Amino acid sequence: MAGITFFHYIHKNTILHKMDCRLKLLCLILLSLSAGFATKWLHYFVIICIITLAIIIARLPIAALLKDMKFFAIIILIVFISNAFTIPGEQIPNFPISNVSIQGITAGLRFAGRLIIILMICTAITGTTSLMALKNAIEWLLRPIPFIPEVRIATIINLTFVLIPLIFDNYVEIISAQKSRCIQLNKNPIRRIRLITLPLLSQSLRRADEIAYAMESRCYSETRSSYIHKTNKIDWIILGTCLMILIFALFL
Amino acid sequence: MPTLETKNLTHIFPDGTIAIQNISLQVKPGEFLIIAGANGSGKTVLIRHLNGLFTPTKGTVLLDGKAITANIVEARKKIGLVFQDSDSQIVGQTVAEDVAFGPENLKLPPHEIDTITKRVLEITNLTALSTQNPHVLSGGQKRKLAIAGVLAMRPEIILFDEPFTGLDYPGVISILKQIINLHKTGHTIILVTHELEKVLAHADRLAILHKGQLMEIGTPKEVILHSKHYGIRMPLKNNEEIHLMTWLE
Ligand SMILES: Nc1ncnc2c1ncn2[C@@H]1O[C@H](COP(=O)(O)OP(=O)(O)O)[C@@H](O)[C@H]1O
Ligand SMILES: [Mg+2]
Repeated sequence: MAGITFFHYIHKNTILHKMDCRLKLLCLILLSLSAGFATKWLHYFVIICIITLAIIIARLPIAALLKDMKFFAIIILIVFISNAFTIPGEQIPNFPISNVSIQGITAGLRFAGRLIIILMICTAITGTTSLMALKNAIEWLLRPIPFIPEVRIATIINLTFVLIPLIFDNYVEIISAQKSRCIQLNKNPIRRIRLITLPLLSQSLRRADEIAYAMESRCYSETRSSYIHKTNKIDWIILGTCLMILIFALFL
Repeated sequence: MPTLETKNLTHIFPDGTIAIQNISLQVKPGEFLIIAGANGSGKTVLIRHLNGLFTPTKGTVLLDGKAITANIVEARKKIGLVFQDSDSQIVGQTVAEDVAFGPENLKLPPHEIDTITKRVLEITNLTALSTQNPHVLSGGQKRKLAIAGVLAMRPEIILFDEPFTGLDYPGVISILKQIINLHKTGHTIILVTHELEKVLAHADRLAILHKGQLMEIGTPKEVILHSKHYGIRMPLKNNEEIHLMTWLE
């Protein structure tokens, strides 16, 4: 778990790390819409340039991110190829493989471009936003909606991210312990799955119980100090830039 | 007057297990009390009652003469509990966030939370790690963070459930130093363990739990000679050497 830089918060002291998370979430929405509405190649180019610039400003480890991209590169390639082969249209002159149309390749590139943009936006946002900030922003954005227990939702989000690495470690430990007792000799897959999931489930439930006690012991309740959100000029300039990109993608 | 007191405390689980039975003990302000007992003797159940996490089947827990249930939030502010399993106690995404969890629950204003967090991180020597993800810390560092999270509530009494379990030698030393410092700065300490050789020299009193019952309580000198009957390792031949029962130099 600890080795993956992708979608992980990386603590730095840059304007993007300090940016108000509510505005950052709005930027996420604006940029995703821009990617969705983009029609010309110039749109894609500009959006990708802007997000690359953001990642550079945030001083995220680009080399490590590119390396972790490998997994997504395969998915993007599959999307591109399936588009190129399935969408009917004109054949490319002098191209050795048949069934590939110009329209198919264009559509494939478009999809791939959108996927790359979304991945880059998510990388930029998660790399610069701690979960606590994200949690506080979600809590703030949910507050005006009636009948939604925003504090509870925020806590659930937080605890999920606390529990995932613990459960993952637990899983690795159970697997190793069973391997050391030659579980691979057991050929029944259902039995093997049961042998792993049952202890994992019971241990996770026990852990959840302990966490509940520990939170109670530290006086947890749903009325807590609420976080004070502050915005500064740079935050609004960044939001303005994202708005301009959306207008550009929509109308120019 | 005792600061913390239990009267005929009994806890029976729904499955019929009698975890603790008729426990009456008094803790004086500023005291360092060790509760020792073999596995399953009821130590964890008892210490959770002292923090108001369990409801007694019979009996009461009194804080400064008043039932702990009368104002449970006030009681938990005054009495901090460091759990045996640090992983379950850590709920923050970074070290500093975890320390701030308690003060946020107490609805302190943000600037005050900041001040407390910084001070507690300094006391526990965790300042350099404040932006780290707790998941990557060592066992000793996690235990320190668990203590820091409790200190941030500014408790007067601190309960430790087996604080040395799973720690390596430097880990034990640094946690032990921390506990002794907290005692020196005026905190009342109640520590549950079966590893007496690491810490007994620093205690004012020793209590022995056996199968859910309080068998002995008194100065370590008075109690230690009997302790081997109750499944606790007794490394000494004569009671002159209690001051050697510590891992500190
Ligand atoms: N949730 C539970 N349900 C039933 N029995 C329990 C539960 N928790 C603890 N016990 C039993 O209570 C007794 C005391 O447990 P505990 O206080 O955890 O012992 P220890 O001294 O090792 O901390 C043990 O016999 C244990 O099996
Ligand atoms: Mg225990």
